[in-house]
Amino acid sequence: MNLISTVEANQSVYKPRMDTDKHGFWRRAAFRQQGDRPLASNPFLSVLIRVHPWFNRGLGRMNVVFTTLVLLLGVPMVVVGAETAQLYAAVGMTKAQKNSAVPTDSGLYRRERDGEWRHFGPRILGIATVAGQPGAPGVLLMGSADGVIRSVDGGGTWRKTTGWQVADVRSLAFDRNQPNRVYAATLWGPIRSEDGGATWSLAQAGLTELYCQTVVADRSRIHRVILGTADGVFVSTDGAVTWNRVPSPSTTILRLAQSEADPRLLIAGTQHRGAWISRDAGETWVATDPASAAANLYAVALHRRDAAVLAVGGWSQGVRVSGDGGATWQDRSAGLPVRNVLVLAFDPDMDGRLWASTFEEGTFFSDDLGRTWKSGGLYGAHGFDFSFLPAPLR
Amino acid sequence: MVWAGVMPVFSQDSETRLSSDAEIDRRFQLRRDWILRTAVSNLDEADASRGSVLDVAAALQRGENRKAALARLARLNEAVPTQNMFWMYPMAAVMAAGGPALDDASWKRIAELWRTYWPSRGDTENHWVMYYGGLYLAAQTWKESGPERWFNGRSAQENRDEARSYLEHWMRVTTSFGQGEYDSPGYIGEYVVPLALLAGWCDDPLLRQKSRMMLDYLAYDYVIEHLSGQYAGAHSRVYPRQLLQPARTTAAALGWLLFGLGDRQMSQQALLLAMSGYTPPPILERIARTPDRPYVERELKRTRWRMRQAGSESFVVGDKRTAPVYKYSYVDKDFVLGSSQGGLLQPIQQQTWSLRWRVDQPLDASNTFFGLHPYSSPHEGTMYFPMSWDTTTDTIVRSKVDYDSPDKLAGGSPYEQVFQHGAALIALYDLPPGTRFPHITALFSRDLRNTVEDPSGWIFSQGGPVYIAYRPLVPGEWRPNDWTGLLAGGAGGFISSGFKEWGTGHRCYVSTAPRNGYVVQVAPVRDFASYEAFQTAVRSRPLATATNPELEVSYTCLDGSRLHARYGQAPSVNGTAIDRAHWPLFESPYGVADRGSQRLELRYGIERYVLDFQRAVIEHSFVRP
Repeated sequence: MNLISTVEANQSVYKPRMDTDKHGFWRRAAFRQQGDRPLASNPFLSVLIRVHPWFNRGLGRMNVVFTTLVLLLGVPMVVVGAETAQLYAAVGMTKAQKNSAVPTDSGLYRRERDGEWRHFGPRILGIATVAGQPGAPGVLLMGSADGVIRSVDGGGTWRKTTGWQVADVRSLAFDRNQPNRVYAATLWGPIRSEDGGATWSLAQAGLTELYCQTVVADRSRIHRVILGTADGVFVSTDGAVTWNRVPSPSTTILRLAQSEADPRLLIAGTQHRGAWISRDAGETWVATDPASAAANLYAVALHRRDAAVLAVGGWSQGVRVSGDGGATWQDRSAGLPVRNVLVLAFDPDMDGRLWASTFEEGTFFSDDLGRTWKSGGLYGAHGFDFSFLPAPLR
Repeated sequence: MVWAGVMPVFSQDSETRLSSDAEIDRRFQLRRDWILRTAVSNLDEADASRGSVLDVAAALQRGENRKAALARLARLNEAVPTQNMFWMYPMAAVMAAGGPALDDASWKRIAELWRTYWPSRGDTENHWVMYYGGLYLAAQTWKESGPERWFNGRSAQENRDEARSYLEHWMRVTTSFGQGEYDSPGYIGEYVVPLALLAGWCDDPLLRQKSRMMLDYLAYDYVIEHLSGQYAGAHSRVYPRQLLQPARTTAAALGWLLFGLGDRQMSQQALLLAMSGYTPPPILERIARTPDRPYVERELKRTRWRMRQAGSESFVVGDKRTAPVYKYSYVDKDFVLGSSQGGLLQPIQQQTWSLRWRVDQPLDASNTFFGLHPYSSPHEGTMYFPMSWDTTTDTIVRSKVDYDSPDKLAGGSPYEQVFQHGAALIALYDLPPGTRFPHITALFSRDLRNTVEDPSGWIFSQGGPVYIAYRPLVPGEWRPNDWTGLLAGGAGGFISSGFKEWGTGHRCYVSTAPRNGYVVQVAPVRDFASYEAFQTAVRSRPLATATNPELEVSYTCLDGSRLHARYGQAPSVNGTAIDRAHWPLFESPYGVADRGSQRLELRYGIERYVLDFQRAVIEHSFVRP
């Protein structure tokens, strides 16, 4: 069982006493948060931290020690089962946006067990994605127009970890083989971090176009990264230090996904060039689905256990599904209110459940590969991404 | 030979002859005081719904109307802010200018908002400068505060460092390659406010000095192309009302405050500038009021950063792509004809060229004439905005409703090529099949008089002290402006507000030929014995036009220069191709700056005023005649 502390710890379990100074700034009574240090998730531990500053200093890199210690001490702790996940949607509420350049709301929404969506984290314009660090309890990264926003306490507190040089972050990919390493695709070029998103550096060498909005950290090979740019697919084998273009459509790659069932299988949705498949981990690409060959496909998804099941979605395309590895495709849009689909994802916990985010007409899910759809809420949203993150269990 | 010393009274202008530095400053202080008093009077102790945040700041700074100011501030700060950087800079102004007069409750609420409200950085150049200017000042207030006190989890020192780094980068880029959001009659104010904050209250002497210098820089950029206080020439961004009533702009309000130009106007941006204590160097007013017109002003600007589809003309600054904008303005005492080279130089609100003529009461005048191809495309949107191909136009229209309308009056086009020499201008358009709005438009404002369609193909008209000749390559037809009724119907909220007042009575000359263009010739009335004499002179000039197989124009303009323009090729004057490779950052009799120099030298008579951003130094001197 994977144990991590989450946002619930701070929001529901632990509420530190707050004082204010003469200017009204809140001052934490238990301890003063600094930098990326995690907040204590129970009063006992906060006292421990206050008494032993040396312990606090090392805590940010001692998650295993942290959780083990807590268990040994027998203190109630928020734990999470890795087998369950909650769906997060990065959206802008644009449907009701009138005479304004700003959506009526935006940010991350989390789908609760009761099916309701609740806003999660700070309200920042242009939040496009969220990712959790593998094996690092509570470490979350949000990609936003303002840069990368990081939490080390499951979303209780957040810190912007990029400077003014970084904007319009669209995709985040942790390297499962080296979990402290994370890559981000931004519309101004890729960046990478070696410390779980606490600090970042540019990663542009070898690119002919800096614009990129999708990145995959190859889970089968360490240091290997696949990047979708405005000039096709680029691959790095040295952890994004250098890039090389691979034979791929010379257009903007809108979305990449790597199969959980077969890591050699990747799919790409492109601008004006439809869907493309790679069966050699991104080295070569072939077009698939002639019916959508000229479409803008913003969404791609791969079944988690069955590598033959693929889904793509796009503008005026609705949802298209293949059950034979891309040999044939079927339109599975009946039941959706609109054929403009921007995000697709297979649910990791509900076998075969496919989620779709439409442009402003809501989120939908299907348990029969798109033959029928049920409303999933978030009407009015312009979806940017779905993410499944470990859910809290008490 | 250069020496520094006391400014001698030196001017050929009857008004400025008597204008010593002291006199210029005295007049400025009177205008400044009027603005501040007006702001304070906007507050009413009995009515906490009146007054802006900056009105509050002004009252607190002056120690007047404090009770009303605090009540108003409390009301304004009740709700969670939504205005992002437009919340940051006025709040920073209250803290900086009015801080000592704030009560504990106000400070507490302000601090709470900085901790809990996450303002977006936005996506335009002006957004970022406002964001970081406001952030720097706010962080300066609590300079020792830790990350828990700030919305973004960064300490005050970290926020200041990031803000300073960006602001210095922006200054470096602007003074080397030109401003990206250049010469906007409205958005100039959004640069003035953060710079005024920093110039007025920044605790870092170097950043404060550079900010004051940038205010000088922007003010010069404006005065060198102004007419009756209006920002003339080609612009990066303009709204419909500003197109048709050019004096109803922030630039004009700033022109009145800084130099007494045009009609008296109040604006929030002018208010903050007045509060900051910034005083323009007197040489700027001397240039603004120079009688030595006409002159040619050439400027190099750049496009907004292009994230993709940057084009072969683009170049890299740091790790971002931009493309050069070549501005040319002919600045006469009775008119300004100014242009850029055409193309997609800015997203959605570009004015590629315009003519303005002098009017005695500019405030409500529609003293303008211009043309365009009303282009709209996801290609443009995705070049400049972080949006997807299929949603970008829809998203743009939600805030700029006219963007996707065939009767719009602003915007660049990739199919437009413009070339100006003196008071003549040639524009060529080659619209490929499938172009969304396959027509070109020339706006004939309601202030034009005596418009006649001549059998020669020329259309003659008169705007105040200026004669205009317009010669389309392929004839068109007259349509009312706003022929779709979009703005008249109230679409777009503030964009169409008051349309009946400013948007009616104009008309457009619309040509639907896909390969087309026009010649514009302007001349001051004073140069001709009569309107007929002007027409005769224009008719007599050699003119050859063709649309097939080449799209080209040869025209000998009124000053005798032979102009030639062929679509897709460099235009020429008297057989010599225009050299855009060596276009200066600024070049006129009143100022010079080289590309990449970070240095601008202003000149008026023997006076020299140098802004050296590399050394953060101002050098004021006088050369021997």
